[in-house]
Amino acid sequence: MFYITLLSALALLVAVIFLTPLRQKMWVAFVAVVAAAIAIAFPAISCLASGAKELEIISIQSPLFGAESLRMDTLSALFSLVIGIAGVATLLYSRGYLAHYLDKKSSAHISLHYTALVVLVVSMMLVVISSGGFSFLFAWELMTIASFILILFDAERQQVLRAALAYLIMMHIGFVMLVAGFAKIYAITGSGNFNNLAICFSSGGTLPIFILFLLGFGMKAGLFPMHIWLPEAHPAAPSHVSAIMSGVMIKTGVYGVMRALWYVVDAAELHTIGLIILAAGIITGLWGVILAALQNDAKRLLAYSSIENIGVIFIGLGIATLGQAAGNYMVATIALCGALLHTVNHSFFKSLLFFGAGNIYSQMHTTLLDRFGGVAKHMPMTAILFFVATIAICALPPLNGFIGEFLIYLGMLDSIRAEVNTIYAAGGLLALALIGGIVVLAFTKLYSTIFLGSPRDHHVAESMEVDNYRIAAMAIPTVGIISIGMFPQFAIRIVEGVANQFFPAATATIVDHYIVPNLWKISLTAWLLVLVIVLLYIWKSRAQRTRIVEQGPTWGCGFTSPNIRMQYTGESYSEGLESIATSLTQNTVEGRAIGKSEIFPASHGYSVKHKDKIDRLFAAWWMELLRIINKRIMRLRTGKINHYILFALLFLVAIFVLSLLNLI
Amino acid sequence: MGIVLNTLLIILTAISIPGVINRTRATLAGRKGMPFSQHLLNVNVLLRKGAVYSTTTTALFRIAPAIYLGAAIVAALMMPVADLYPLISFKGDVICFAYTLALARVAIILAAMDTGSSFEGMGAAREALYGALIEPALMIGFATLALFCGYTSFADIFAHEQSFDMHLTIVMLLVAFLFVKITFVESGRVPVDDPRTHLELTMIHEVMCLDYSGIDMGMIHIAGWLKTACFSMIAANAVAATCCFHWWFAVPLAILLTGLSVGIVESTQARNKLANNTTFIVTISALAALIFFIGYLLKLNINI
Repeated sequence: MFYITLLSALALLVAVIFLTPLRQKMWVAFVAVVAAAIAIAFPAISCLASGAKELEIISIQSPLFGAESLRMDTLSALFSLVIGIAGVATLLYSRGYLAHYLDKKSSAHISLHYTALVVLVVSMMLVVISSGGFSFLFAWELMTIASFILILFDAERQQVLRAALAYLIMMHIGFVMLVAGFAKIYAITGSGNFNNLAICFSSGGTLPIFILFLLGFGMKAGLFPMHIWLPEAHPAAPSHVSAIMSGVMIKTGVYGVMRALWYVVDAAELHTIGLIILAAGIITGLWGVILAALQNDAKRLLAYSSIENIGVIFIGLGIATLGQAAGNYMVATIALCGALLHTVNHSFFKSLLFFGAGNIYSQMHTTLLDRFGGVAKHMPMTAILFFVATIAICALPPLNGFIGEFLIYLGMLDSIRAEVNTIYAAGGLLALALIGGIVVLAFTKLYSTIFLGSPRDHHVAESMEVDNYRIAAMAIPTVGIISIGMFPQFAIRIVEGVANQFFPAATATIVDHYIVPNLWKISLTAWLLVLVIVLLYIWKSRAQRTRIVEQGPTWGCGFTSPNIRMQYTGESYSEGLESIATSLTQNTVEGRAIGKSEIFPASHGYSVKHKDKIDRLFAAWWMELLRIINKRIMRLRTGKINHYILFALLFLVAIFVLSLLNLI
Repeated sequence: MGIVLNTLLIILTAISIPGVINRTRATLAGRKGMPFSQHLLNVNVLLRKGAVYSTTTTALFRIAPAIYLGAAIVAALMMPVADLYPLISFKGDVICFAYTLALARVAIILAAMDTGSSFEGMGAAREALYGALIEPALMIGFATLALFCGYTSFADIFAHEQSFDMHLTIVMLLVAFLFVKITFVESGRVPVDDPRTHLELTMIHEVMCLDYSGIDMGMIHIAGWLKTACFSMIAANAVAATCCFHWWFAVPLAILLTGLSVGIVESTQARNKLANNTTFIVTISALAALIFFIGYLLKLNINI
């Protein structure tokens, strides 16, 4: 019944969107998403406010894994709120971004895009509120297919097609693992619900099932080495799609891991799992951030930074699990709150960053860093909002990124001072500190090569500020960034309920007596910081009013004819890091650099691309293997009907023989 | 009262260190040298001047010095002087301290890139890389303190009752050594960076401020002093914790420790080749990890 309702609602949506006039399609989709967001916000907020354990919405009779339900608990509530907010912002943003595609693409194309966008948002909501089993897998697959269609928007470009296919294949490898995981639960307990994981885990064999889920969800989240679809898919997709995919969709992977983790109780197993998650987080984070810093394409850089942020979330989660395993609920609660808050925070600043990248792409039709420069003068609002997101993602006070990472750090320091898992916590601390430092390198590179300095390309001069709808859409995450950053003591209440679900005995005391008083002081520090900066600036401006303040060219250090091409580029900015991290990338060089012996250099073309080594690893043996296997199998496709009947007969005989031997 | 005294002492430390460095250098070179307060007079002149701004720059360039100094001030307000209490103190303020200074770094890097100058780009790129590589050393240094003292805020780490203990002394002296090294990097001193060089191509910190003049330049200088004072105060507190934990001991120690060591190193050593800087800084981080490990072993009472 549920599936029939769902499919007919989908059919209705398709009909309405396809029949609406071209320019109104966006509003139909917008209304649908806002309605979905509001519909889910009520149970979500009431669940978070009351801390209800499980709030059933409807129960479903599924064809495969038995009885299931759509239900809301605090973990679902947190994620569905994030999805709702990001969904509304994305739809609002899409109006301006797609405006100039309306004439180029067919009406059906635009309709398909908007339908997929609505389906993506709704299916993500279903994923987080499904109780598991068939409905979960159904929503998960719907989400994959909707996002696949969304990536395909610019399908004329060869690169987009390749990226979308790679995405589809990888997602289905992950999907198979999830199916296997649920089938395993079903086989042991007779139902595919998440809740039955508890029975599964208590009956032993936790680790294999958990790893199955970790791999399946990790594929979506972009855990190393399953991250390679992200840097391909994001540059290919339209910016608002990247925003929702990177800001929210990959978080459904985090959600899944958290959900599975919740049911693990045995301390020894928690310890092992905590170590696995921590190690995965450290490797993912470091790999992501180093590759991010080396990228010369804005959207690839942002995609790698998403990988890094997933790494940070997993570091927090790993520390929390290790703390729980050691029975130190202080560490566990703080780190879990940090990981959850970082999940929320990342959805805000990453969507804002992708929106910003979309703004500049729609003006200059490129995302290559070295084509920009000085954009801030032409697009001041974009520059300011992007600046806010940059500060936030570098985890600097007084914005929200700092709060999440602060809690994760605090969890690790508390772990160290309590001497539980000291060495692991120190490893996490070392990694997070290095990540924090390199993020600054990556994002100062991104911001400064795009928005600051002199224009490197004449297109910059023709760019102008985008429409107000897009700015309004960007304002939504900005409000979140600033308010979480300046009022963390209240923001923590959003994730407190979830932490409470994990550690019911300890959370309330720890949050009330340890975290909140600390966050009060952080909030005051943040306000003090802002106050001091504002006062200093006002003092300076007032003092300068009575003095001679002149404008002049940039100081050229005695060189009389500096020109724009001498400016530092994105590539040169990260050259120092590149010389250290050279073993992580596969560099392809086109052209030739100017040699030291060339006194009068002729014109040179020189371009370097830093490709992920993992990428190459996959491309090399995996794809080749697939191709060979495929070629072998294709021999069976003879095109003769009698052969096919023979295969069917062989299959039946095989089944018969196997069942005779009691093998199946 | 203690808080006011604490703040004043940090300011005293901040303005004394450059003077001590200059006097040390002059004495070692056999010069008469500039007066002790010359750097204050220089900044005073700067603060009364007008300014020239590059036409390439945006509003960010004008706000950046305020962010730089503001962040340095807030960071300095978190720093206790031995047994006194700082204005801002909470659990985990060590993290807030590191990230507030990172905000300062980001502001100055973006301002340098805003000028569109190739020289300032070089400085910015180097600052970003070295800043990234020194961050683990800083954090592991804090982690060592947290491990050994059982607290996560500066005030608690240094202020709680320490009974004399050989293990503690060893670790605290090692941490002090680590933070003196970090001070060299963070305040752009020889052997990482030479503030007195005359070749823009090899500068790091100084080249980033090439386009600043007047009040902005003054603010950047003051922020630099504050940063140096914070790091040397950590080192001094660590030493003081092992023998004589009073502010009247920690303040001269902080001034002399950094002042003399920087002065001596700058008089006797040449700066690194730029390519060797990364190795130098990564070595500090490795050293920090080693100190943490030694601390952990000592804490476990394993004989080494």
